[in-house]
Amino acid sequence: MNTRTTHQPIIEMRGIEKHFGSVIALAGVSVDVYPGECHCLLGDNGAGKSTFIKTMSGVHKPTRGEILFEGRQMHFEDPRDAIAAGIATVYQDLAMIPLMSVSRNFFMGNEPTRKIAGIPFFDRALADRVTMEEMRQMGINLRGPDQAVGTLSGGERQTVAIARAVHFGAKVLILDEPTSALGVRQTANVLSTIDKVRKQDIAVVFITHNVRHAMAVGDRFTVLNRGMTLGTAQRGQIQPEELQDMMAGGQELVALEGSLGGTV
Amino acid sequence: MTSTLRKVALASAVAAASLTAATTVSAEGEKYVLVSHAPDSDSWWNTVKNAIALAGEQMDVEVEYRNPPTGDVADMARIIEQTVAAGPDGLITTLADFDVLKGPIMDAVASGIDVIIMNTGTPEQARELGALMYVGQPEYDAGLAAGMRAKDDGVTSFLCVNHSIQQPTLGDRCRGFADGLGVELGESMLDSGTDPSEIKNKVQAYLSANPETDGILTLGPVSAGPTMQALNDIGLAGDIYFGTFDLGDEIVDGIKSGVIEWGIDQQPFLQAYMPVVILTNYHRYGVLPGNNINSGPGFITADGLAKVEEFAGEYR
Amino acid sequence: MAETAETTPAPDERVKQMSAFRRALIRPELGGICGTIAVFTFFLLFAFDSGMFNSQGILNWSTVSAQFMIIAVGACLLMIAGEFDLSVGSMIGFSGMMIAIFSVTLGWPVWAAILVTFALSLAIGALNGFIVIRTGLPSFIVTLAALFILRGFTIYFPQLLENKTIIGGIRETAEGDWLAPVFGGKILTGLFDWLGQTGVIATFERGTRQGDPVVDGIPMLIVWAIALVIFGHVLLTRTKFGNWIFAAGGDAQAARYVGVPVNRVKILMFMLTAFCATVFATCQVMEFGSAGADRGLLKEFEAIIAVVIGGALLTGGYGSVLGAALGALIFGVVQQGLFFASVESSLFRVFLGVILLLAVILNTYIRRMITGER
Repeated sequence: MNTRTTHQPIIEMRGIEKHFGSVIALAGVSVDVYPGECHCLLGDNGAGKSTFIKTMSGVHKPTRGEILFEGRQMHFEDPRDAIAAGIATVYQDLAMIPLMSVSRNFFMGNEPTRKIAGIPFFDRALADRVTMEEMRQMGINLRGPDQAVGTLSGGERQTVAIARAVHFGAKVLILDEPTSALGVRQTANVLSTIDKVRKQDIAVVFITHNVRHAMAVGDRFTVLNRGMTLGTAQRGQIQPEELQDMMAGGQELVALEGSLGGTV
Repeated sequence: MTSTLRKVALASAVAAASLTAATTVSAEGEKYVLVSHAPDSDSWWNTVKNAIALAGEQMDVEVEYRNPPTGDVADMARIIEQTVAAGPDGLITTLADFDVLKGPIMDAVASGIDVIIMNTGTPEQARELGALMYVGQPEYDAGLAAGMRAKDDGVTSFLCVNHSIQQPTLGDRCRGFADGLGVELGESMLDSGTDPSEIKNKVQAYLSANPETDGILTLGPVSAGPTMQALNDIGLAGDIYFGTFDLGDEIVDGIKSGVIEWGIDQQPFLQAYMPVVILTNYHRYGVLPGNNINSGPGFITADGLAKVEEFAGEYR
Repeated sequence: MAETAETTPAPDERVKQMSAFRRALIRPELGGICGTIAVFTFFLLFAFDSGMFNSQGILNWSTVSAQFMIIAVGACLLMIAGEFDLSVGSMIGFSGMMIAIFSVTLGWPVWAAILVTFALSLAIGALNGFIVIRTGLPSFIVTLAALFILRGFTIYFPQLLENKTIIGGIRETAEGDWLAPVFGGKILTGLFDWLGQTGVIATFERGTRQGDPVVDGIPMLIVWAIALVIFGHVLLTRTKFGNWIFAAGGDAQAARYVGVPVNRVKILMFMLTAFCATVFATCQVMEFGSAGADRGLLKEFEAIIAVVIGGALLTGGYGSVLGAALGALIFGVVQQGLFFASVESSLFRVFLGVILLLAVILNTYIRRMITGER
C-alpha cells in the first residue's frame, strides 16, 4: 500500500524505560515510526501505551533510553517542544472545547493575527475561511465557522482535531484511541481521515486496542504488553488472530476465544 | 419559555410595587425622606422606622426610610444623590462620614431641599453643610457623661465592646467613657463583630485574660445581649459594673434583673419624629426652633422602666 | 475503503438549519438585552415623572451602574477564564485605604500613592492567581481567604496608624495633583455649563452654587467604566489572548495540549480583576475624599451577579463583556430605580434573587442549545 523500509524513520524510540517511583511502566521499548505510514500501537489497558505516547509527545521524560527525531537526538522539556518539532497529539477526550466555535478551536494556540494600528488583532475572517476550507476537505459540513464544537459528533471532533494538527505542520500525528468511543459509521470516517493524512507523507501513530480498526489502516503493528514490546510486524506479515493473542499476553484467550466462537 | 418567565417576573414586580406604594401615607403632598447609614441587619433602627411612620401619619405627610443594605457609607452617598434627583421637600439624614456625605448633602441644600441632620454628626458639621439643625446625641459627650457616672460608682478599669469598629462615631463613645473614667483607652476597646456567639466568646476571653476588669460598656443591643449571656455563663452577672448604650428588650430585662446598671437612651424616636414634625411645620407655617435638639443622653435605671418596657424595640 | 470519502460532501440532512431566532438566542448577551429592555420599560411606566429620568436621576443610576461595570469587567473575564475572585470587595476597601494611608498618613504625593497602590493590588492579584495555579485549589477558597486577609488589614492598618477606621482629607491632599483628576475628575464640564445656561438641564436654586447646572460633567468613573468595557470586549473577542481566555476556561487541559499558556492567562485575569477593583476604589476615594474600612462590602457578589445576568457561565469558557456590562446596568438601574418607583428597598433583594435565578436558568438552557444536549 505504501512504500516501506526504503526510507529513514522520522522517529526512533530506543530502549525507552519509564519508572514512576517503584512502578516500571515501560521496560525498554523500541519503536521506529516512518513518514507516510500508519503505525498501530496495540495493547490492553495498562500495557503502557499511554505512557509511551506521552513520552513521545514530551509530557513525560524517559527514565532511560533515547528519542531520535529525524536522526537527531531530542530532549523534550514539555509538550510545546514536541509540538514545535512537529509532533502533534490528539487526545481522545481532550481534543476540543465544546463551548467554543469550530473556528476558535481550530486556531486555539495558533491564532492568526492582523495588525491594526500596530496592535495585533485575531484575524477572525482568515480563521473562519481556513476552517471552512479545511472542514470541507475533511468531509465535514458546517453550518458556519461559528458553530460550536459541542454540536459535532465524536467522530467529527476527532476529525477536526486531526485536521488542525495537520494544518499546523505536524510531521508526526499521535492519535490516542480515537475510535474507542465511536459508533461504526463515525469510526469509518476517522479511519478514512487517517488514510488521507498518511497520504500527505505524515507519520501516524495510531493507538488502539481494537485489532480490526488497526488492520484497516495500519502499515506496521507494535504490540505492547506489561511495559514491553513484543516486536513490530509489517502489514501482511501477521494475522489479526496473532495480534489478538499477543495483546492478551498469553494463551488463555485462545481457550476463551474458542468458547466464544471466535467473536472477540 | 423565557418570555413567560419574564412576564411572570414583571407581573410580580408590578404587584410588589403597588403593594408597597400603598403603605406610604400622603395627604398634603409633602414628602420627606430619611436616609440612615445602618445596614439592614441593625434592629435598633426599627424604632426610627416606626417613629417616622408615626410622625408621617400624625402630620399627614409622606415619609420614606432608606439605608444602604450593607452599611457602606459610599452607597449611602448614592442614595442621597438619588433622593436629591427625586426632589422631596425635606431630607433627614445621618452624617456617618462627613467627607463622603458632604458633597451630596450640599447638593441637596443647593437644590432647594431642606436638610436636618440626625443621630450621627455634630451641630457644627450640620451648620457647615447648610442644614436646618441637628437632632441627636453628641457621642463623645454621652460617653464622657457615662464615664463620669461610672467613676462615681467606683469603676477603675473597663472593657468597651464595639460591635461596629469601622464606624468612627461608635469609637467616640468608648473614648469619651475612658476620659470620663480618667483612664487610658488602650487595649480596652474590643472589636467584637456583630455575630452574637462571637461577641459572647470574645467577651469571655477578654475577661479571663484581664480578670481585674470591673466595668463593661456595650455600645448597643447588638453587643449588650451576648455580653449579658457571657456574664451569666461565667458567673459575673451582677458582680461587674455593666452599662450600655441604647435600649432593647434584652437590655430592659437586664436592667430589671440587675445585671445592667443603666442604659443610655439617646431616644431615637425623637431623632426621627422631631425632624418630620419640624419640617412639616416649617413648610406649612414657616416656624422653626432656634436651637439644635439634644435627644439624649438619658440614663435609664431600674426605676421607672414601665414605659420603656412597654415600648422597647418599638418606640423606645 | 479509504477512497470512499468525497471532497465536497453533500449537506448532511441531519444538521437542521438553525432559525435566526435560535441563533440570536445563543448569543451570551441575549439575557442582558432582554433584561435591559424589560427594566427600562418597567421604570418608564412606573417612575417616569419621579425624577429618575431627569439629568440628576440619569447621572445617579449611570454612576451606580458604572461602578458595577468596572468590577464586572474583571470578574467577567476571570469567570470566562474559569476562575472566581471573591476578594474583589475587600480589595476595594484595601486599595482605598492604602491610598489614604500613603497620601494622608505618610504624606506621599497623591500620584505616588495611587501608583504604588496599583502596583500593590496587581501583586496581590498575581499572588491569588499564583496560589490557585500552584496548589490546584479552587479559586473560590483561595480568594475567600484573601477576602478575610485584606479586610482584616483594611481595619488594622488605619487603627494602628491613626487610631480610627476612616481616613479623610484626601480631597484636600489631592488638590493640584496631576493623577487624581484621572479618577476623581469630571469631563465635558463646559458642555454641561452651556446646557445649564440654555436651560436643557436644571440649575441649583439657592446657596453658593446657585445657577450652576445640577449635573456639571460626566464623572471619570463613567469614563473608566466605558473604557474598561470596550477594552474587555475587544480583548475577549478580537485578540489571540481572548481566544486563550475562552480556551483556559473551556477546558484548561485541552488548551494546554495545544500550547495555550493557561497559567499565564489565568494569573493575568486575576491581576485584571484586582486592577478593576483598584480603579473602583481610587475613583471612590478621589470622589468622596475619604477611605473607610467598610468600603466595598459584598461587592464581589454584586460583580458576580452582574456577570451571570450578563450571560456568562459559572463554569467558565463562555460569556461576554458586553453582557456583563448590561448586567451591571440592569443591576444599577433596578437598585436605584426601585426607590424612584417608591418600592420598599428591602424588596430589591427579592428582585435580585429572582433575576439571578432567571438568568442562571436561561444560561443553562442556552448552554444546552450550544452543545446540542437536551
